[in-house]
Amino acid sequence: MAGPSRGGTPGARDASWGTAALFLGPAVALTLVFTVYPVLRTFYNSVHFVGPQNRTSFIGLRNFADVLTADPVFWKAVGNTAIFSVVGTVADVAGGLVLALCLFANAPLARACRVIWFTPVLMSYVVVCIIWGWIYDYDWGVVNLLLGWLGLDWLQHSWLGEPGTALWAVMVAHLWKWLGFNMIVFLAALHALPGDVLAAAELDNCGWLARTVYVILPMLRPTVVNLLILSFIGKMMIFDLVWVMTGGGPLWSTETVSTYVYKRAFDWNTFDLGYPSAIAVLWFALILAFVAAATALLRRRERLEF
Amino acid sequence: MRTRRARTFSRVSLLAASVLVATGAWSARAEDTTLTVWSHEADEPAKVAFREQAARDLEAAHPGLHVKITWYEKGGLDAALKTALPAGQGPDVFYVEPDQTQYITQGYIVPLDDLVDWGKIYDWARQAWTHDGKTWALPQEAYTDELYYNKDLLKKLGVTLPESAQLTQDQFADLVKKARAAHITPIAQGVGDRPYPGAYVLAEALLRKLGPDDYGKLLHGQLSFEDPRVVDVFAWVKELAGDGAYPRNFMTLKLGESHYYFYQQPGALMLPMGSWYTGRAFVPVEQGGQPPDFPIGIMQFPAMRDGACNECKTLAVGASFAINAASRRKDLAAAFLNAMSTPEMGERWIETIYLQTAVKTNVGSFSGPYAGYFDELMERQKGAKYFIGMPIDIVTGQCRDSFVQVMNSGFPGGLLPVDQAVKLMNQGCYKG
Repeated sequence: MAGPSRGGTPGARDASWGTAALFLGPAVALTLVFTVYPVLRTFYNSVHFVGPQNRTSFIGLRNFADVLTADPVFWKAVGNTAIFSVVGTVADVAGGLVLALCLFANAPLARACRVIWFTPVLMSYVVVCIIWGWIYDYDWGVVNLLLGWLGLDWLQHSWLGEPGTALWAVMVAHLWKWLGFNMIVFLAALHALPGDVLAAAELDNCGWLARTVYVILPMLRPTVVNLLILSFIGKMMIFDLVWVMTGGGPLWSTETVSTYVYKRAFDWNTFDLGYPSAIAVLWFALILAFVAAATALLRRRERLEF
Repeated sequence: MRTRRARTFSRVSLLAASVLVATGAWSARAEDTTLTVWSHEADEPAKVAFREQAARDLEAAHPGLHVKITWYEKGGLDAALKTALPAGQGPDVFYVEPDQTQYITQGYIVPLDDLVDWGKIYDWARQAWTHDGKTWALPQEAYTDELYYNKDLLKKLGVTLPESAQLTQDQFADLVKKARAAHITPIAQGVGDRPYPGAYVLAEALLRKLGPDDYGKLLHGQLSFEDPRVVDVFAWVKELAGDGAYPRNFMTLKLGESHYYFYQQPGALMLPMGSWYTGRAFVPVEQGGQPPDFPIGIMQFPAMRDGACNECKTLAVGASFAINAASRRKDLAAAFLNAMSTPEMGERWIETIYLQTAVKTNVGSFSGPYAGYFDELMERQKGAKYFIGMPIDIVTGQCRDSFVQVMNSGFPGGLLPVDQAVKLMNQGCYKG
């Protein structure tokens, strides 16, 4: 029996090279210009000193050696990014799961809550930063006013202005923005679970908690794994929120690798793109290694969708 | 047949007419030229009016020329330039400030030595943009670092300024304590969105203590921050911070908010700021400006004990304009810069913006609602010895980062002891 493409009209697989080039050309060209070239250029810059007017001189691995052995701010940024990526990811995914379970269980006002919890996802980072900047303000911010009202004045802080609290304050703002996204993904996964399994658990007098722990969560494992990895990668590259809220301060306490790369490249007025490129290459290699390891570890058990 | 001929004729006529119209339109467009300008300070109506006036003057002098100014805030302008310039795009003329030397090193702007009429610009202002013997931008705005204060609050605290309007460092420290005891914020200052305001008091104190030569060496990495004189000044500022000189929300308070904090809500005794302060403050109250009857005064930054130059103060260039190296209308772009730099425009700048300018002017007396203010500002310049350039315009690389994190925010914010602050600054800046 002939396939549908064997008739008079050629199918996609029968398209000529010219047709394929016509359709793929623009996308390939854009990818080459805006993705492949910048990546290759970053690798090239990382082993060069980039001087005024883009004059370059080859310096081998000196930038990498300097980054790894003589740059305390880089290691501070690595530490902050690691904390942000690990703690933020766990909080993001766990929080999203809890919210999704609330909605799945038809908690009161579930429809309204779904809209309210998802709304921050639609906001731009700048708006989120302004809102949380007000919330955290020492003098008129809601957090300190609430603490004062509760008689807990001793807990009042300049939340974004103290090294001990700034990173955590930024993480809370980030969590608020992205919780709704994870919630929606989990909710879709929950609604896709086989109804007969859930019904069987109910017939077996399985309580709500036991059903969640022993039935629902194991079936959600692929979704959990995907969200954990996606969230982790996103946080390893966190920039916007930190840049607008704290600029990496106070005293580098919220400096992340991305903000540090930006500062070295554009904010130091030196315009040597070699050194920040070396940091970017190192970080790219680390993220790539993490994704490869996670994929290898989980490949046999789950099909990852990122 | 006749119908066919007529139809052919009408078609040819229509085609010819179309060609004529199109050609005419093309030639009309070819005669018209648009000069594009990107400028910061969209939220300062007086400066907007000033530059638009220069644009209209240039258009009047060059029929067929249209000057299109696109107004930005600083962040948006810098972001747009970072994208446009490397691509060989961007406006013919754009706003720059003296710390943005990367435009020179990257070759994005052209030297103006032979394009601009430098006879109308003060030499010291031109120096701010002279690198490797070439001048790269036209300075327009000049300003001095000033210590504004609320006259009523000072009176309420029972303090009278001496004739010189300069307190000693001990008197200043006492003033801070008195204000805090009276539940008045001594100094309205915040570093939430700028890399320099937190360092005003510290930098001016260092200038007075060290004198301009050693202060310059300090900023250029040729003098250690462990110099006893520098440590003395850091210790004094630490004492001020410990006495509550700055607001509790110092780390997050934005520049515009600090102005409002000073003259409106909740009110503060002093505001150290560049004299460009007026560009934002002298606008109607409904636009966030200072109330017309606000009792603003200007005192000198305090005299330091054994100070090498207590009459010194910082003079700097702010708003400047450069010509894009990719511009195909450099002569017209230069004409626009010259149109902003005539003596008449210099006078207009002073009379409408109430701020010093790099343009040579002959304004002898001032009029208008803020004449008293400007007289006082000029009074504070008498006998002054100037150090040219804000620290943030001078420091680069790791030193700039240390300056922003330590001298601008962490140290005045009370987050660092003196020895650690000095050590961090030395790590970032000192080349000895």
